Amino acid sequence: MTSPTGALTLSVENVSVHFGGLYALSDVSFDVAANEIVGLIGPNGAGKTTAFNVVCGFLRPQSGTVRFPHLGRSDLRPHQLAHAGIARTLQGVGLFERLSVLENVMAGAQSRPGGGVLWGALGLPRSSRGERLLRAEALSNLERLGVAGYAASLPGEIPYGIAKKVAVARALMVQPSLLLLDEPASGLDENELEEFARVIIELGTTTSVLLVEHNMDFVMPLVHRLVVLNFGQVIAAGSPEEISHDETVLAAYLGVDE
Amino acid sequence: MFRTVSQRYPTGFRLVATVVLCAVALAITFVLTPLDDSKLAGGAAMSIVILGLSWLIGWSGQVSLGNAGFMAIGAYTTAIWANHHTTSPIIWSLFLSTVLGGVSGFVLALPATRLRGPYLAGMTLAFSFAVAPLAIDSRSLTGGSGGLFINFLNSPSWFANLFSGSDALVKANAQWPADVAIVVAAVAFFFMANLFRSRTGRALRLVRDNEVAAELVGVNLQRTRTLAFVISAAYAGLGGSMMTLLSGSVTPQTYGLTLSILLLTLMVLGGIGTLSGAVIGGLIYSYSDNIVSIVNKVTGVNPTSTFGANLKGIVFGVLLILTMMLAPRGLVGLGSYLRRLVRR
Ligand SMILES: Nc1ncnc2c1ncn2[C@@H]1O[C@H](COP(=O)(O)OP(=O)(O)O)[C@@H](O)[C@H]1O
Ligand SMILES: [Mg+2]
Repeated sequence: MTSPTGALTLSVENVSVHFGGLYALSDVSFDVAANEIVGLIGPNGAGKTTAFNVVCGFLRPQSGTVRFPHLGRSDLRPHQLAHAGIARTLQGVGLFERLSVLENVMAGAQSRPGGGVLWGALGLPRSSRGERLLRAEALSNLERLGVAGYAASLPGEIPYGIAKKVAVARALMVQPSLLLLDEPASGLDENELEEFARVIIELGTTTSVLLVEHNMDFVMPLVHRLVVLNFGQVIAAGSPEEISHDETVLAAYLGVDE
Repeated sequence: MFRTVSQRYPTGFRLVATVVLCAVALAITFVLTPLDDSKLAGGAAMSIVILGLSWLIGWSGQVSLGNAGFMAIGAYTTAIWANHHTTSPIIWSLFLSTVLGGVSGFVLALPATRLRGPYLAGMTLAFSFAVAPLAIDSRSLTGGSGGLFINFLNSPSWFANLFSGSDALVKANAQWPADVAIVVAAVAFFFMANLFRSRTGRALRLVRDNEVAAELVGVNLQRTRTLAFVISAAYAGLGGSMMTLLSGSVTPQTYGLTLSILLLTLMVLGGIGTLSGAVIGGLIYSYSDNIVSIVNKVTGVNPTSTFGANLKGIVFGVLLILTMMLAPRGLVGLGSYLRRLVRR
C-alpha cells in the first residue's frame, strides 16, 4: 500500500456497517489526500455505495469514524456537507427536474450565507445582489465544463452526458475541497467518457476527488490511487499499476467481473 | 410544469410594478358600482389566501386542505382584537392575525411536515374539520355558533368627501373597504414576488423536486417544509382577517372543509404557483355567485331546492375537473397555450 502524502481531506477509519446479519462494510479504512483523485472500485455488492453513503452521513456506521482532517470535523450530516465544502454527485444525475439548468447549478450554493427568508421577502439588496452573483458564478461553472449553452434548458431536455456535467457544475458551486462522484461514467458513450475523464483530471488540480466506478477502462488512467472493496472489506489499495498486477484483486474482481 | 426563469428583474422593478398595478386597481374601483366594489374586495382578500396556498402546494409540493382553518385563526383574531380595542387602527388587526396565522401554521407543521401525500392531506383535512367545533365550544372567546360582530370598515370622512351626489356615502362605504383590501393584497403580493425570486423560494422547489439532492446542496428539509407552512398560514391568517373586516362578522361555519376545497379549486383554476394565477382565482371568487346564477338560469335549477343550494359546489367541482384535464396550468397557462396554438 502506498500511503498518500500531504494533508488529508478524508479519512475513513475502521468503519463497519451491517444490515441485519449482512456486513456491507467491515472494518474499512482508507484516506484521500489533498488534490488526490482516488477511485473506489469493486464488484457489484462490494459495498461501494454504502461506503459513499457513510461518508455523506446518509448512513451512520455501527462503528468507526469518518473524519475530514483539513476541517477538523467528523461524521457530518448530509445538509452540513455543502456548508463544509464537500460536494457529492448522485448516481444517475439527480438534477431538479422543474428548474432550469442554470438554476440547478445556482442551487449548489444554497448553503451560502445571506439567503435568509426575511431578506428575501423584503427583496433587500443583500438578497438580490447575492442572487445576481450566484447567477454569474453558476454561468462560469457551466462554461468551465463547456455546457453553458444549455443554461436555459430543463434537465429533461438535455442529453444524459450533458446532464452529468451540469451535476458536476452544481457540485463546484461550493468550491469543494472534496468532491465525491458516484458512478460518473455510467450511461456515457465512448466520446463522452473521454471528455468526462479530462474534466475530472482538470478538477483534480483544485480539489480532492473520490469516485465510485466499475468501468475499469475509465478509472485506470484517471486516478492516482485505487481502493478495492470486496465483500465489504478493503482487499487492496495502491496505484493503478500496482492494482492491475495484484493477484487478490485479479482473482476477486477483474477475473470475475470483466 | 412551472418553468421559472430566475432573477431577471431587480426588487426595484417589482416595487414599481406593484405600485402601478395597485394604482390601476384602485382607479378601477372608482368607476365600479358599490356592489362590484364589495365583490372585488372579497376577491382581493381571497387572492391573498390563494397565493399563500400556491406557495405551499406549487412551490414546496405539500398539499393542504387546512388553509381555511388558518383563515379562521386570522378571522377570529381580528374580531376578538377589534372588540377589545375598538379604536385601534386596522393595521394592528392585520398584523396580529398574520402573526397568529403563522404561529398556527408552525404548530401544524410540527407533525405535518413529517407526512407525505395522502397522509399530509388527511392531517390538514382533520384540522379543517376541527376548526368549527373548536370555535363553537370556546363560546366565551369566539361567541359560539353565533360568531362575533365588529364595526364595519366605514370610509373615513376625507375619503367620503371625494364623492358627491345622493349615493355618495353608500359608494364611499363600499369602495373604501375594497381599496383597503387592494392595498393589503398589493403588499402581500410584493413580498411573495420577492420570495419567489429569493433563495428561500428556490429551497422550496429543490425540496419539492428531489429531497436527496436538496439535502446534499445544504437545504434543511424539515426547516424548509416548516417555513413553507408558516408563510402559507400567515397569508391565510391575513386573508381571514380581511374577510372579518369586510363582512363585519365571523362565524364558525364559514371556515370549514368546503372553503378549503374552494381555495384549492380557485388556485387550480387560476394557475398553481404563480402571482397572476392567484389574482385570477380571487377574481373568480368575486364573481362566483354570478357564475352560479348563470348556470342556474341556463339549467333552470330552482336555487332554493336542495340541489340548487349545492350547485356552487357542483359547478366548481366540474370546473376543477375541466381545468385539470384541459389546462393543467390553469387559466394562466391557458393564455400561453392559446398563443402557441395561434403561432403554429
Ligand atoms: N439499505 C440496505 N438494506 C439491506 N442491505 C443493503 C442495503 N444497502 C445495501 N445493502 C447490501 O449491502 C451490500 C453492499 O451494497 P452496496 O454498497 O450497494 O454495493 P455496491 O455499491 O458496491 O454495488 C449488498 O449486499 C447489498 O445488498
Ligand atoms: Mg452501487
